[in-house]
Amino acid sequence: MNRRTLLGGLFAAASVPALTACASGITSLDNQGATTSGGGSSKGGVTIGTANFTENQVLGYLYAAVLTAAGVETNVRPNLGTREILIPAIKGGDIDLLPEYQGALLHYLDPKATATEEGEMQNALAVALPAGLQVLPYGMAEDSDAFVVTRETAKKYGLTSLADLKKQNGRLVIGAAPEVKKRQVGVVGLKDVYGVEFKEFKSLDSSGPLVKGALKKGDVDVANLFTTDTDIQANDWVVLTDPENLIPGQHVVPLIADRKADSTVRKALARLGNVLTTAQLTELNRQVDKDKKDPEDVADTYAKQHGLA
Amino acid sequence: MYELFKNLGSWLTSGAQWSGSDGIVHRLAEHLQYSLLATLIAAAIGLPLGLLIGHTGKGAFVAINLASFGRALPTVGLVVLVFLAGGLSMVPVYVALVALAVPAIVTNTYAGMTAVDPDVKDAARGQGMRGHQVLFQVELPLALPLIMTGLRLALIQVVATATIAAYVSFGGLGRYVFDGLAQRDLVQVLGGAVLVAAVAVVLDLLLSTLQRFLFRHRTA
Amino acid sequence: MTIDWSWIGDHTDDLTTLTVSHLQAALSAVLFGVLISLPLAVVAHRIRPLRGFLLGISNVLFTIPSIAIFVLLLPVSGLTRTTTVIGLTIYTLVVLLRNTVEGLDSVPAKTKEAAKAMGTRPLRTLLTVEFPLALPVIMAGVRIATVMSISLVSVATYIGDGGLGQLFTDGFQRNFPTPVIAGVVLTILLAVVADAALVAVQYVLTPWRRRRA
Repeated sequence: MNRRTLLGGLFAAASVPALTACASGITSLDNQGATTSGGGSSKGGVTIGTANFTENQVLGYLYAAVLTAAGVETNVRPNLGTREILIPAIKGGDIDLLPEYQGALLHYLDPKATATEEGEMQNALAVALPAGLQVLPYGMAEDSDAFVVTRETAKKYGLTSLADLKKQNGRLVIGAAPEVKKRQVGVVGLKDVYGVEFKEFKSLDSSGPLVKGALKKGDVDVANLFTTDTDIQANDWVVLTDPENLIPGQHVVPLIADRKADSTVRKALARLGNVLTTAQLTELNRQVDKDKKDPEDVADTYAKQHGLA
Repeated sequence: MYELFKNLGSWLTSGAQWSGSDGIVHRLAEHLQYSLLATLIAAAIGLPLGLLIGHTGKGAFVAINLASFGRALPTVGLVVLVFLAGGLSMVPVYVALVALAVPAIVTNTYAGMTAVDPDVKDAARGQGMRGHQVLFQVELPLALPLIMTGLRLALIQVVATATIAAYVSFGGLGRYVFDGLAQRDLVQVLGGAVLVAAVAVVLDLLLSTLQRFLFRHRTA
Repeated sequence: MTIDWSWIGDHTDDLTTLTVSHLQAALSAVLFGVLISLPLAVVAHRIRPLRGFLLGISNVLFTIPSIAIFVLLLPVSGLTRTTTVIGLTIYTLVVLLRNTVEGLDSVPAKTKEAAKAMGTRPLRTLLTVEFPLALPVIMAGVRIATVMSISLVSVATYIGDGGLGQLFTDGFQRNFPTPVIAGVVLTILLAVVADAALVAVQYVLTPWRRRRA
């Protein structure tokens, strides 16, 4: 054995412990789906990725709960980042399944998309998705982006709708997650559709402590939050209306890699979609954010209570 | 990869990228402010500590262990912890950066002090110098090269780590890295990384030039 | 800021898993760092012109923010443990390379000449004379690199890994200090234990130094 192969051997041996840590990520690359007709197979497990905010993790663990009950092995990878990070990851095979939101996903894939009605969006998504990925039927629960101001700000500037923001062009500061700066359902669309221009964009987080703290303190005038965030009501914040329908319907929809989309998975996720309501999802988020319960426990309890697991 | 670097070129050379509140000039100034202030605070804590330990020879064991314990402190965790305790301000960032810089300064200052020849110290005392005179007129000048090395090391680490300010909504060059991550805009991430590295390298060169200038008469 | 002890009690399994995963990432990085820096250090030690170049490169790599390295690796290795380990490995190089070169430099020329005079081949001299004598300095580097890696792993939480670092982002998002405190304490404990273990390893590997200590 020469020195080179010896070193090669050492590298191979040394990499074993490093790789076992993400064993399920590796198995997801196995092309086991090829043997089943009509698409994928969930044999070998489904890796569920979730974005960097509470609700998405709740949804990820709900998917895991119903899939586990259906006999599918699952592995949840929480808090992976933004859609911009997650979509390439599901394409690349690091994850197989992702809780998504109809309109936001559509606008990510096709910023010029015009569909607003749920059925239309579902069709548009099917067209816009890259090969190898598909969306399953959307669920009842909905969580939209909302542009929110404090009661005082609303009074001071006479703001009730997004269109009113134009009157204050160049004066207001908006706070949102960094990705919102480049998104259609964000700074780009607000300018295109409503002609709104902000004085400044502050990079904060997705309906998290930074953006809510900044809105409270008055560091930002307008904040991008989620409609399922209980803090909106708790603080008596004003959600600006959207007369031009910039913000599309945001029903929760599973995005899955074809290789894993077998009938067991489809059925289990469809059942969850038909049971989970917006109000229930909002309550689950609250339990995680305020009661400091684990998203996993919250999801498991919900699934059991509703006969899903 | 080639595409990435080509786009980096146009990112760095576009005039619009350099101006405004999210422009490179502004972000660079913020980054320098965070880094220099944090290193100064760390020096104000670490230098006296290192000098004292080196001069008295007491507490060396504790200091060295504290330094390696400090090296283990996870910056992200520290930032979040101070944020949760005291709310959103630059304080969490400064606490984390100072905690990062102090160990390098203390250990190098101490090392510089212990490297001073005991005979020289004895001779100084023999000439009737008092403790503080020995410290400031003999030990400190002789230990200065190693002290400077510690400051340089601390500054480089702080410059690279000041990126974290962007995680808790502040500016600096880290803004490009964190925004680029969220937007999966790798050109922006690379741009931010290159600028941070450039700042670190330039500051290090400046300090090492200064060091060489100060100690030019000491070349062996 | 209070600690919710019942949360810690309920999450011992999770904390264990994260701690093991954290350690695995850090140790893999140090292992790869050693495997890469040993041959590079021999080159830097033997071929003077390359020395400044190699040390310079590792110094510059060290100035790049770790979070940026992780993100820039995404197109190469995705949201995987591999990305974490590659990123951390890059950071270990600056310490490991410098210390290994210094360790090799510290071997007295006379010792090497004696080995040569006894007819020992260069490779054998390197493995049986130079490396063992350089070991204390190399091990000092390994210790620093290990502690540094353990502290840096948590940065990978921004790309969905990061071992105990996940507790930081979780606590941040939910305004919940307990997981953050647990993460910080466990990280430091891990570093202290790993460092002590390396001291023990060094003690075993360098029997000839014991009498002096």
